[in-house]
Amino acid sequence: MRAVARPEFGPFVLLALELFGFWAINHDFLSEQNISNTLAFTVELGLIALAMTLLMTSGEFDLSVGSLFGFSPVLMWTLFNAGLVSLGVAFAMAMAVAALIGLVNGWFVTRLKIPSFLVTLGMLLVVRGTALFITDGFPQRTWSAEGQWLAEALVGDFRVLGFRIYMSLFWFILATAAMSYVLNQSKAGNWILASGGNPGAARARGVNVDGTKVSLFVLSSLMASLAGVISSIRTSAANPNSGTGYELEVIAMVVIGGTALTGGRGTIFGTVLGIFILRGMRNGIVMIGVPGLAYNIFIGAIILGMMALHSWLERRHRAGT
Amino acid sequence: MAEELIRMEGVNKFYGRVQALENVNLTVNRSEIVGLLGDNGAGKSTLIKVLSGAVPSSSGSIYVRGEKVRIRDTTDAIALGIETIYQDSALVVQLSIARNLFLGREPLKGPRFLQRMDMRAMEDAAGDLLRRVGIGKAIPASTPISSLSGGERQAVAIARAMHFDSDLIILDEPTNNLGVAETQGVLRFVRNARDSGHSCIFIAHNIHHVFQVVDRIVVMRRGRIVADDIDPKTTTVAEVEDVITGE
Repeated sequence: MRAVARPEFGPFVLLALELFGFWAINHDFLSEQNISNTLAFTVELGLIALAMTLLMTSGEFDLSVGSLFGFSPVLMWTLFNAGLVSLGVAFAMAMAVAALIGLVNGWFVTRLKIPSFLVTLGMLLVVRGTALFITDGFPQRTWSAEGQWLAEALVGDFRVLGFRIYMSLFWFILATAAMSYVLNQSKAGNWILASGGNPGAARARGVNVDGTKVSLFVLSSLMASLAGVISSIRTSAANPNSGTGYELEVIAMVVIGGTALTGGRGTIFGTVLGIFILRGMRNGIVMIGVPGLAYNIFIGAIILGMMALHSWLERRHRAGT
Repeated sequence: MAEELIRMEGVNKFYGRVQALENVNLTVNRSEIVGLLGDNGAGKSTLIKVLSGAVPSSSGSIYVRGEKVRIRDTTDAIALGIETIYQDSALVVQLSIARNLFLGREPLKGPRFLQRMDMRAMEDAAGDLLRRVGIGKAIPASTPISSLSGGERQAVAIARAMHFDSDLIILDEPTNNLGVAETQGVLRFVRNARDSGHSCIFIAHNIHHVFQVVDRIVVMRRGRIVADDIDPKTTTVAEVEDVITGE
Protein backbone atom coordinates (compact mmCIF):
# COMPACT_ATOMS: atom_id res chain seq x y z
CA MET A 1 0.00 0.00 0.00
CA ARG A 2 2.87 2.35 0.81
CA ALA A 3 4.45 1.70 -2.58
CA VAL A 4 1.17 2.36 -4.37
CA ALA A 5 0.76 5.71 -2.62
CA ARG A 6 4.15 6.95 -3.77
CA PRO A 7 4.00 9.48 -6.62
CA GLU A 8 6.47 7.39 -8.64
CA PHE A 9 4.17 4.36 -8.70
CA GLY A 10 1.95 5.53 -11.58
CA PRO A 11 4.84 6.40 -13.90
CA PHE A 12 6.59 3.15 -12.98
CA VAL A 13 3.61 1.05 -14.04
CA LEU A 14 3.17 3.11 -17.19
CA LEU A 15 6.82 2.63 -18.18
CA ALA A 16 6.63 -1.12 -17.58
CA LEU A 17 3.44 -1.40 -19.65
CA GLU A 18 4.90 0.73 -22.40
CA LEU A 19 8.12 -1.26 -22.68
CA PHE A 20 6.23 -4.53 -22.63
CA GLY A 21 3.63 -3.34 -25.14
CA PHE A 22 6.14 -2.12 -27.72
CA TRP A 23 8.27 -5.22 -27.27
CA ALA A 24 5.23 -7.49 -27.71
CA ILE A 25 4.37 -5.82 -31.04
CA ASN A 26 7.94 -5.54 -32.31
CA HIS A 27 10.71 -7.51 -30.59
CA ASP A 28 13.31 -5.24 -32.18
CA PHE A 29 12.20 -2.52 -29.75
CA LEU A 30 14.44 -4.06 -27.10
CA SER A 31 17.25 -4.99 -29.49
CA GLU A 32 20.78 -3.94 -28.58
CA GLN A 33 20.97 -1.56 -31.47
CA ASN A 34 17.67 0.17 -30.78
CA ILE A 35 18.40 0.53 -27.08
CA SER A 36 21.83 1.98 -27.85
CA ASN A 37 20.40 4.47 -30.34
CA THR A 38 17.57 5.59 -28.06
CA LEU A 39 19.78 5.86 -25.01
CA ALA A 40 22.24 8.21 -26.72
CA PHE A 41 19.76 11.05 -27.07
CA THR A 42 17.63 10.17 -24.05
CA VAL A 43 20.39 10.91 -21.56
CA GLU A 44 21.09 14.27 -23.20
CA LEU A 45 17.52 15.44 -22.64
CA GLY A 46 17.66 13.70 -19.28
CA LEU A 47 20.46 15.93 -18.04
CA ILE A 48 18.21 18.95 -18.60
CA ALA A 49 15.23 17.24 -16.95
CA LEU A 50 17.23 16.45 -13.79
CA ALA A 51 18.13 20.09 -13.23
CA MET A 52 14.59 21.15 -14.13
CA THR A 53 13.27 18.82 -11.42
CA LEU A 54 15.17 20.69 -8.72
CA LEU A 55 14.17 24.06 -10.16
CA MET A 56 10.49 23.10 -10.34
CA THR A 57 10.61 21.71 -6.83
CA SER A 58 11.72 25.16 -5.71
CA GLY A 59 8.62 26.59 -7.39
CA GLU A 60 10.08 28.01 -10.62
CA PHE A 61 10.66 26.73 -14.10
CA ASP A 62 12.91 27.54 -17.02
CA LEU A 63 11.71 27.85 -20.62
CA SER A 64 15.10 28.95 -21.90
CA VAL A 65 16.76 25.51 -21.70
CA GLY A 66 15.94 24.55 -25.29
CA SER A 67 17.54 27.72 -26.64
CA LEU A 68 20.65 27.21 -24.49
CA PHE A 69 20.85 23.66 -25.84
CA GLY A 70 21.26 25.25 -29.27
CA PHE A 71 23.22 28.38 -28.30
CA SER A 72 26.04 27.05 -26.13
CA PRO A 73 27.48 24.55 -28.64
CA VAL A 74 27.22 27.19 -31.35
CA LEU A 75 29.19 29.59 -29.18
CA MET A 76 31.77 26.96 -28.29
CA TRP A 77 32.37 25.87 -31.90
CA THR A 78 32.42 29.42 -33.21
CA LEU A 79 35.16 30.32 -30.74
CA PHE A 80 37.09 27.14 -31.52
CA ASN A 81 36.72 27.29 -35.30
CA ALA A 82 37.88 30.90 -35.36
CA GLY A 83 41.15 29.55 -33.99
CA LEU A 84 41.02 31.86 -30.99
CA VAL A 85 41.13 29.25 -28.24
CA SER A 86 41.47 25.54 -27.65
CA LEU A 87 38.33 23.41 -27.42
CA GLY A 88 38.65 23.09 -23.64
CA VAL A 89 38.82 26.86 -23.18
CA ALA A 90 35.95 27.38 -25.63
CA PHE A 91 33.89 24.92 -23.60
CA ALA A 92 34.70 26.72 -20.37
CA MET A 93 33.75 30.05 -21.92
CA ALA A 94 30.45 28.71 -23.24
CA MET A 95 29.63 27.32 -19.80
CA ALA A 96 30.53 30.62 -18.16
CA VAL A 97 28.18 32.48 -20.50
CA ALA A 98 25.47 29.89 -19.72
CA ALA A 99 25.97 30.43 -15.98
CA LEU A 100 25.64 34.17 -16.52
CA ILE A 101 22.36 33.64 -18.39
CA GLY A 102 21.08 31.52 -15.50
CA LEU A 103 22.15 34.25 -13.09
CA VAL A 104 20.20 36.85 -15.07
CA ASN A 105 17.12 34.60 -15.10
CA GLY A 106 17.38 34.17 -11.36
CA TRP A 107 17.97 37.86 -10.78
CA PHE A 108 14.85 38.85 -12.72
CA VAL A 109 12.74 36.28 -10.90
CA THR A 110 13.94 36.89 -7.33
CA ARG A 111 14.79 40.61 -7.34
CA LEU A 112 12.26 42.03 -9.78
CA LYS A 113 9.62 39.47 -8.71
CA ILE A 114 8.64 38.66 -12.28
CA PRO A 115 7.14 35.17 -12.78
CA SER A 116 9.70 32.73 -14.15
CA PHE A 117 7.36 31.91 -17.05
CA LEU A 118 7.74 35.43 -18.44
CA VAL A 119 11.41 35.89 -17.59
CA THR A 120 12.57 32.66 -19.19
CA LEU A 121 10.24 33.11 -22.17
CA GLY A 122 11.99 36.40 -22.82
CA MET A 123 15.38 34.78 -22.30
CA LEU A 124 14.43 31.98 -24.71
CA LEU A 125 13.97 34.55 -27.48
CA VAL A 126 17.13 36.50 -26.59
CA VAL A 127 19.31 33.38 -26.53
CA ARG A 128 17.83 31.79 -29.64
CA GLY A 129 18.04 35.08 -31.47
CA THR A 130 21.69 35.46 -30.52
CA ALA A 131 22.47 31.94 -31.73
CA LEU A 132 20.86 32.67 -35.10
CA PHE A 133 22.51 36.07 -35.39
CA ILE A 134 26.10 34.98 -34.73
CA THR A 135 25.81 32.07 -37.17
CA ASP A 136 23.65 33.74 -39.83
CA GLY A 137 21.45 30.71 -39.27
CA PHE A 138 24.05 28.23 -40.56
CA PRO A 139 25.32 25.18 -38.62
CA GLN A 140 28.87 25.32 -37.30
CA ARG A 141 31.60 22.88 -38.29
CA THR A 142 32.25 20.28 -35.59
CA TRP A 143 34.13 17.49 -37.33
CA SER A 144 37.42 18.69 -35.90
CA ALA A 145 36.26 17.20 -32.58
CA GLU A 146 38.00 13.97 -33.52
CA GLY A 147 40.69 13.11 -30.98
CA GLN A 148 39.97 16.04 -28.66
CA TRP A 149 40.16 14.99 -25.00
CA LEU A 150 36.98 16.91 -24.21
CA ALA A 151 35.03 15.06 -26.89
CA GLU A 152 36.30 11.73 -25.55
CA ALA A 153 35.41 12.60 -21.97
CA LEU A 154 31.91 13.76 -22.83
CA VAL A 155 30.81 11.39 -25.58
CA GLY A 156 33.56 8.87 -26.18
CA ASP A 157 31.87 5.56 -27.07
CA PHE A 158 32.69 1.92 -26.51
CA ARG A 159 30.97 -1.42 -26.87
CA VAL A 160 29.70 -3.54 -24.01
CA LEU A 161 27.93 -6.85 -24.77
CA GLY A 162 26.73 -5.58 -28.12
CA PHE A 163 25.53 -2.23 -26.73
CA ARG A 164 27.12 0.94 -27.98
CA ILE A 165 27.57 3.05 -24.85
CA TYR A 166 28.48 6.72 -24.83
CA MET A 167 30.32 8.39 -21.96
CA SER A 168 27.30 10.70 -21.62
CA LEU A 169 25.40 7.80 -20.03
CA PHE A 170 27.86 7.83 -17.14
CA TRP A 171 27.52 11.58 -16.75
CA PHE A 172 23.76 11.10 -16.64
CA ILE A 173 24.00 8.37 -13.99
CA LEU A 174 26.40 10.51 -11.97
CA ALA A 175 24.10 13.53 -12.23
CA THR A 176 21.09 11.42 -11.21
CA ALA A 177 22.87 10.13 -8.12
CA ALA A 178 24.19 13.56 -7.18
CA MET A 179 20.86 15.34 -7.56
CA SER A 180 18.93 12.63 -5.80
CA TYR A 181 21.36 12.93 -2.91
CA VAL A 182 21.09 16.69 -2.85
CA LEU A 183 17.29 16.71 -2.94
CA ASN A 184 16.67 14.00 -0.36
CA GLN A 185 19.64 14.04 1.99
CA SER A 186 21.24 17.44 2.01
CA LYS A 187 20.41 20.70 3.68
CA ALA A 188 20.21 22.30 0.24
CA GLY A 189 17.46 19.82 -0.61
CA ASN A 190 15.48 20.81 2.46
CA TRP A 191 15.82 24.43 1.39
CA ILE A 192 14.74 23.65 -2.18
CA LEU A 193 11.61 21.87 -0.94
CA ALA A 194 10.83 24.63 1.56
CA SER A 195 11.36 27.40 -1.01
CA GLY A 196 8.78 25.78 -3.26
CA GLY A 197 6.39 24.70 -0.52
CA ASN A 198 6.08 27.86 1.53
CA PRO A 199 8.63 30.56 0.73
CA GLY A 200 7.30 32.87 3.44
CA ALA A 201 7.76 30.31 6.19
CA ALA A 202 11.16 29.31 4.81
CA ARG A 203 12.33 32.93 4.80
CA ALA A 204 11.09 33.40 8.35
CA ARG A 205 13.34 30.50 9.38
CA GLY A 206 16.39 32.13 7.87
CA VAL A 207 16.39 30.06 4.66
CA ASN A 208 17.98 31.91 1.75
CA VAL A 209 15.09 31.36 -0.65
CA ASP A 210 16.34 33.76 -3.32
CA GLY A 211 19.86 32.37 -3.25
CA THR A 212 18.51 28.83 -3.55
CA LYS A 213 16.42 29.72 -6.59
CA VAL A 214 19.20 31.67 -8.31
CA SER A 215 21.62 28.73 -7.94
CA LEU A 216 19.03 26.41 -9.44
CA PHE A 217 18.52 28.73 -12.43
CA VAL A 218 22.30 28.65 -12.95
CA LEU A 219 22.32 24.85 -12.63
CA SER A 220 19.50 24.58 -15.15
CA SER A 221 21.35 26.73 -17.70
CA LEU A 222 24.59 24.81 -17.17
CA MET A 223 22.96 21.41 -17.62
CA ALA A 224 21.10 22.53 -20.75
CA SER A 225 24.38 23.80 -22.20
CA LEU A 226 26.26 20.65 -21.26
CA ALA A 227 23.55 18.58 -22.94
CA GLY A 228 23.76 20.75 -26.04
CA VAL A 229 27.54 20.41 -26.25
CA ILE A 230 27.35 16.63 -25.82
CA SER A 231 24.70 16.40 -28.50
CA SER A 232 26.67 18.58 -30.93
CA ILE A 233 29.79 16.43 -30.59
CA ARG A 234 27.85 13.17 -30.92
CA THR A 235 25.90 14.24 -34.02
CA SER A 236 28.72 16.34 -35.47
CA ALA A 237 26.41 19.29 -35.88
CA ALA A 238 26.07 22.55 -33.99
CA ASN A 239 22.85 23.95 -35.37
CA PRO A 240 21.57 27.27 -33.98
CA ASN A 241 18.03 25.90 -34.26
CA SER A 242 18.57 22.69 -32.34
CA GLY A 243 16.74 22.29 -29.06
CA THR A 244 13.61 24.04 -30.29
CA GLY A 245 10.65 22.85 -28.20
CA TYR A 246 12.79 20.86 -25.78
CA GLU A 247 11.72 23.02 -22.83
CA LEU A 248 8.17 21.73 -23.01
CA GLU A 249 9.22 18.11 -23.49
CA VAL A 250 11.52 18.38 -20.47
CA ILE A 251 8.83 19.96 -18.29
CA ALA A 252 6.46 17.20 -19.40
CA MET A 253 9.02 14.57 -18.34
CA VAL A 254 9.33 16.17 -14.92
CA VAL A 255 5.61 16.46 -14.18
CA ILE A 256 4.84 12.98 -15.52
CA GLY A 257 7.34 11.68 -12.99
CA GLY A 258 5.36 13.21 -10.13
CA THR A 259 7.05 16.53 -9.37
CA ALA A 260 4.50 19.21 -8.51
CA LEU A 261 4.23 22.03 -11.05
CA THR A 262 3.53 24.37 -8.14
CA GLY A 263 6.67 23.42 -6.20
CA GLY A 264 7.28 21.87 -2.81
CA ARG A 265 7.33 18.29 -3.99
CA GLY A 266 9.88 16.72 -6.30
CA THR A 267 11.30 13.33 -7.19
CA ILE A 268 14.44 12.61 -9.17
CA PHE A 269 13.52 8.94 -9.52
CA GLY A 270 10.14 9.96 -10.96
CA THR A 271 11.84 12.25 -13.44
CA VAL A 272 14.08 9.41 -14.63
CA LEU A 273 10.92 7.37 -15.22
CA GLY A 274 9.34 10.33 -17.02
CA ILE A 275 12.39 10.67 -19.26
CA PHE A 276 12.21 7.05 -20.33
CA ILE A 277 8.43 7.10 -20.73
CA LEU A 278 8.50 9.97 -23.22
CA ARG A 279 11.62 8.94 -25.12
CA GLY A 280 10.53 5.30 -25.19
CA MET A 281 7.20 6.42 -26.57
CA ARG A 282 8.76 8.48 -29.34
CA ASN A 283 10.96 5.57 -30.38
CA GLY A 284 8.36 2.84 -29.89
CA ILE A 285 5.70 4.57 -31.93
CA VAL A 286 8.00 4.62 -34.92
CA MET A 287 9.09 1.02 -34.29
CA ILE A 288 5.54 -0.32 -34.35
CA GLY A 289 4.71 1.55 -37.53
CA VAL A 290 2.59 4.45 -36.30
CA PRO A 291 3.42 7.55 -38.35
CA GLY A 292 5.97 9.68 -36.49
CA LEU A 293 3.76 12.70 -36.97
CA ALA A 294 1.20 11.11 -34.63
CA TYR A 295 3.76 11.16 -31.81
CA ASN A 296 2.39 14.29 -30.18
CA ILE A 297 -1.07 12.78 -29.86
CA PHE A 298 0.32 10.05 -27.61
CA ILE A 299 2.53 12.41 -25.64
CA GLY A 300 -0.38 14.76 -24.99
CA ALA A 301 -2.61 11.87 -23.93
CA ILE A 302 0.06 10.58 -21.53
CA ILE A 303 0.52 14.00 -19.95
CA LEU A 304 -3.22 14.43 -19.45
CA GLY A 305 -3.58 10.91 -18.11
CA MET A 306 -0.71 11.22 -15.66
CA MET A 307 -1.91 14.61 -14.43
CA ALA A 308 -5.34 13.12 -13.79
CA LEU A 309 -3.74 10.24 -11.89
CA HIS A 310 -1.53 12.53 -9.79
CA SER A 311 -4.40 14.83 -8.88
CA TRP A 312 -6.58 11.86 -8.00
CA LEU A 313 -3.88 10.45 -5.72
CA GLU A 314 -3.40 13.87 -4.18
CA ARG A 315 -7.10 14.29 -3.44
CA ARG A 316 -7.36 10.80 -2.02
CA HIS A 317 -4.34 11.48 0.15
CA ARG A 318 -5.93 14.67 1.48
CA ALA A 319 -9.31 13.03 2.04
CA GLY A 320 -7.71 10.26 4.08
CA THR A 321 -6.34 12.66 6.69
CA MET B 1 10.23 43.27 40.00
CA ALA B 2 10.80 40.51 37.45
CA GLU B 3 13.73 40.57 35.07
CA GLU B 4 13.10 42.54 31.92
CA LEU B 5 13.47 40.74 28.56
CA ILE B 6 12.21 43.12 25.88
CA ARG B 7 11.57 46.84 26.05
CA MET B 8 10.23 48.99 23.22
CA GLU B 9 10.58 52.73 23.70
CA GLY B 10 8.83 55.43 21.70
CA VAL B 11 8.37 53.21 18.65
CA ASN B 12 6.60 54.83 15.67
CA LYS B 13 5.68 53.27 12.35
CA PHE B 14 4.39 55.13 9.33
CA TYR B 15 3.02 53.57 6.17
CA GLY B 16 3.30 56.59 3.91
CA ARG B 17 1.30 59.21 5.78
CA VAL B 18 -0.65 56.70 7.81
CA GLN B 19 0.68 56.28 11.33
CA ALA B 20 0.22 52.65 12.35
CA LEU B 21 2.13 52.90 15.64
CA GLU B 22 2.31 56.01 17.78
CA ASN B 23 4.88 56.29 20.55
CA VAL B 24 4.56 52.66 21.66
CA ASN B 25 6.22 51.67 24.94
CA LEU B 26 6.02 47.98 25.81
CA THR B 27 7.91 45.79 28.22
CA VAL B 28 7.86 42.00 28.45
CA ASN B 29 9.49 40.29 31.42
CA ARG B 30 11.05 36.86 31.62
CA SER B 31 8.62 33.97 32.00
CA GLU B 32 5.69 36.26 31.42
CA ILE B 33 2.76 35.78 29.09
CA VAL B 34 1.47 39.09 27.81
CA GLY B 35 -1.90 39.17 26.07
CA LEU B 36 -2.06 41.80 23.32
CA LEU B 37 -5.62 42.89 22.59
CA GLY B 38 -7.20 45.44 20.32
CA ASP B 39 -9.78 45.80 17.62
CA ASN B 40 -9.00 45.31 13.93
CA GLY B 41 -6.59 47.99 12.78
CA ALA B 42 -5.49 48.86 16.30
CA GLY B 43 -1.87 48.19 15.42
CA LYS B 44 -1.30 44.76 16.99
CA SER B 45 -0.05 43.20 13.76
CA THR B 46 2.26 46.11 13.01
CA LEU B 47 3.68 45.95 16.51
CA ILE B 48 4.58 42.28 16.24
CA LYS B 49 5.86 42.74 12.68
CA VAL B 50 8.30 45.33 14.02
CA LEU B 51 9.38 42.98 16.80
CA SER B 52 9.76 39.98 14.51
CA GLY B 53 11.67 41.90 11.86
CA ALA B 54 9.03 41.63 9.13
CA VAL B 55 8.85 45.44 8.81
CA PRO B 56 11.30 48.05 10.14
CA SER B 57 10.11 50.67 12.62
CA SER B 58 10.17 54.30 11.53
CA SER B 59 11.68 55.51 14.80
CA GLY B 60 12.13 54.49 18.41
CA SER B 61 14.36 51.97 20.16
CA ILE B 62 14.15 48.32 21.09
CA TYR B 63 16.14 46.76 23.94
CA VAL B 64 16.67 43.03 24.39
CA ARG B 65 18.06 41.97 27.78
CA GLY B 66 18.90 45.60 28.45
CA GLU B 67 20.93 46.09 25.28
CA LYS B 68 19.81 48.30 22.45
CA VAL B 69 19.36 46.28 19.26
CA ARG B 70 18.49 46.81 15.61
CA ILE B 71 16.04 44.36 14.07
CA ARG B 72 16.33 44.67 10.31
CA ASP B 73 14.88 41.33 9.21
CA THR B 74 13.52 38.06 10.54
CA THR B 75 16.99 36.55 10.75
CA ASP B 76 18.04 39.30 13.18
CA ALA B 77 14.96 38.67 15.31
CA ILE B 78 15.58 34.91 15.43
CA ALA B 79 19.21 35.48 16.38
CA LEU B 80 18.01 37.66 19.28
CA GLY B 81 15.72 34.86 20.44
CA ILE B 82 12.44 36.28 19.15
CA GLU B 83 10.32 33.66 17.41
CA THR B 84 7.04 34.52 15.73
CA ILE B 85 4.40 31.91 15.00
CA TYR B 86 1.85 33.07 12.47
CA GLN B 87 -1.50 31.41 12.08
CA ASP B 88 -0.83 29.54 8.83
CA SER B 89 2.49 30.46 7.41
CA ALA B 90 4.86 29.09 10.02
CA LEU B 91 5.31 25.63 8.51
CA VAL B 92 6.00 24.12 5.10
CA VAL B 93 3.12 21.68 4.81
CA GLN B 94 4.81 19.43 2.25
CA LEU B 95 7.75 18.71 4.55
CA SER B 96 7.86 16.30 7.46
CA ILE B 97 7.65 17.37 11.10
CA ALA B 98 11.37 16.71 11.59
CA ARG B 99 12.36 18.66 8.46
CA ASN B 100 10.20 21.59 9.56
CA LEU B 101 11.56 21.64 13.08
CA PHE B 102 15.11 21.99 11.82
CA LEU B 103 14.43 24.06 8.69
CA GLY B 104 17.20 26.65 8.36
CA ARG B 105 19.19 25.04 11.17
CA GLU B 106 19.69 21.51 9.94
CA PRO B 107 22.16 19.37 11.91
CA LEU B 108 24.77 18.03 9.51
CA LYS B 109 27.09 15.06 9.43
CA GLY B 110 29.60 13.53 7.09
CA PRO B 111 32.70 14.92 5.39
CA ARG B 112 32.84 18.45 4.01
CA PHE B 113 31.24 19.00 0.57
CA LEU B 114 29.31 15.75 1.02
CA GLN B 115 27.49 16.82 4.13
CA ARG B 116 24.04 15.48 4.61
CA MET B 117 21.34 16.13 7.15
CA ASP B 118 21.58 14.02 10.26
CA MET B 119 18.11 12.52 9.85
CA ARG B 120 18.53 10.26 12.82
CA ALA B 121 19.31 13.14 15.17
CA MET B 122 16.51 15.22 13.68
CA GLU B 123 13.89 12.53 14.12
CA ASP B 124 15.03 11.65 17.62
CA ALA B 125 14.93 15.27 18.72
CA ALA B 126 11.58 15.75 17.02
CA GLY B 127 10.14 12.72 18.80
CA ASP B 128 11.28 14.06 22.19
CA LEU B 129 9.82 17.48 21.47
CA LEU B 130 6.50 16.09 20.34
CA ARG B 131 6.25 14.13 23.56
CA ARG B 132 7.05 17.25 25.56
CA VAL B 133 4.22 19.19 23.97
CA GLY B 134 1.98 16.17 24.34
CA ILE B 135 1.32 14.93 20.79
CA GLY B 136 4.03 12.31 20.56
CA LYS B 137 1.89 9.27 21.02
CA ALA B 138 0.99 8.15 17.52
CA ILE B 139 2.66 10.59 15.19
CA PRO B 140 6.09 9.68 13.76
CA ALA B 141 8.42 12.62 13.10
CA SER B 142 8.51 11.74 9.41
CA THR B 143 4.82 12.63 8.97
CA PRO B 144 4.23 15.54 6.57
CA ILE B 145 2.64 18.60 8.18
CA SER B 146 -0.20 18.38 5.65
CA SER B 147 -1.61 15.38 7.49
CA LEU B 148 -1.72 17.12 10.88
CA SER B 149 -4.68 18.95 12.40
CA GLY B 150 -4.58 22.68 13.08
CA GLY B 151 -3.83 22.20 16.76
CA GLU B 152 -1.03 19.74 16.06
CA ARG B 153 0.50 22.22 13.63
CA GLN B 154 0.48 24.94 16.28
CA ALA B 155 2.07 22.47 18.68
CA VAL B 156 4.86 21.73 16.20
CA ALA B 157 5.49 25.45 15.70
CA ILE B 158 5.57 26.06 19.45
CA ALA B 159 7.79 23.03 20.00
CA ARG B 160 10.22 24.44 17.47
CA ALA B 161 10.38 27.79 19.24
CA MET B 162 10.97 26.01 22.56
CA HIS B 163 13.66 23.74 21.15
CA PHE B 164 15.74 26.60 19.79
CA ASP B 165 15.59 28.44 23.11
CA SER B 166 13.71 31.42 21.84
CA ASP B 167 13.32 33.74 24.79
CA LEU B 168 10.25 35.41 23.37
CA ILE B 169 7.59 33.47 21.45
CA ILE B 170 5.05 35.65 19.66
CA LEU B 171 1.82 33.82 18.89
CA ASP B 172 -0.43 35.51 16.34
CA GLU B 173 -3.99 34.22 16.64
CA PRO B 174 -2.88 30.71 17.60
CA THR B 175 -6.39 29.57 18.46
CA ASN B 176 -8.15 30.71 15.29
CA ASN B 177 -10.06 27.97 13.52
CA LEU B 178 -9.27 25.45 16.24
CA GLY B 179 -11.70 23.16 18.00
CA VAL B 180 -12.31 23.27 21.73
CA ALA B 181 -9.95 20.42 22.62
CA GLU B 182 -7.24 21.72 20.31
CA THR B 183 -7.54 25.20 21.78
CA GLN B 184 -7.04 23.74 25.25
CA GLY B 185 -3.98 21.95 23.88
CA VAL B 186 -2.48 25.14 22.50
CA LEU B 187 -3.15 27.02 25.75
CA ARG B 188 -1.41 24.18 27.60
CA PHE B 189 1.65 24.46 25.31
CA VAL B 190 1.79 28.17 26.06
CA ARG B 191 1.74 27.53 29.82
CA ASN B 192 4.43 24.84 29.38
CA ALA B 193 6.56 27.31 27.48
CA ARG B 194 6.27 29.84 30.31
CA ASP B 195 7.02 27.22 32.94
CA SER B 196 10.23 26.33 31.14
CA GLY B 197 11.36 29.97 31.17
CA HIS B 198 10.07 31.40 27.89
CA SER B 199 8.13 34.63 27.53
CA CYS B 200 5.14 34.94 25.22
CA ILE B 201 3.15 37.63 23.50
CA PHE B 202 -0.26 36.17 22.85
CA ILE B 203 -2.55 37.82 20.32
CA ALA B 204 -6.13 36.64 19.94
CA HIS B 205 -9.52 37.99 19.11
CA ASN B 206 -11.10 35.65 21.59
CA ILE B 207 -10.75 37.45 24.92
CA HIS B 208 -11.76 34.34 26.85
CA HIS B 209 -8.76 32.43 25.51
CA VAL B 210 -6.51 35.30 26.47
CA PHE B 211 -7.95 35.41 29.98
CA GLN B 212 -7.27 31.72 30.52
CA VAL B 213 -3.57 31.93 29.94
CA VAL B 214 -1.98 35.36 30.26
CA ASP B 215 -0.34 37.10 33.23
CA ARG B 216 -0.95 40.61 31.99
CA ILE B 217 -3.08 42.25 29.31
CA VAL B 218 -1.98 45.08 27.03
CA VAL B 219 -4.64 46.89 25.00
CA MET B 220 -4.03 48.87 21.81
CA ARG B 221 -6.33 51.36 20.14
CA ARG B 222 -5.59 53.40 16.98
CA GLY B 223 -1.87 52.65 17.04
CA ARG B 224 -1.37 53.47 20.69
CA ILE B 225 -1.12 51.43 23.84
CA VAL B 226 -4.01 52.56 26.02
CA ALA B 227 -3.55 50.12 28.91
CA ASP B 228 -0.60 47.93 29.74
CA ASP B 229 -1.07 46.41 33.15
CA ILE B 230 -4.52 44.89 33.25
CA ASP B 231 -4.48 41.91 35.59
CA PRO B 232 -6.80 39.18 34.27
CA LYS B 233 -7.36 37.89 37.80
CA THR B 234 -8.87 41.11 39.10
CA THR B 235 -10.59 42.36 35.94
CA THR B 236 -13.69 41.15 34.11
CA VAL B 237 -13.97 40.45 30.41
CA ALA B 238 -16.58 43.21 30.09
CA GLU B 239 -14.22 45.78 31.56
CA VAL B 240 -11.48 44.81 29.11
CA GLU B 241 -13.94 45.01 26.23
CA ASP B 242 -14.75 48.56 27.23
CA VAL B 243 -11.06 49.45 27.16
CA ILE B 244 -10.71 47.91 23.68
CA THR B 245 -13.63 49.84 22.22
CA GLY B 246 -12.77 52.98 24.18
CA GLU B 247 -16.09 53.39 25.93
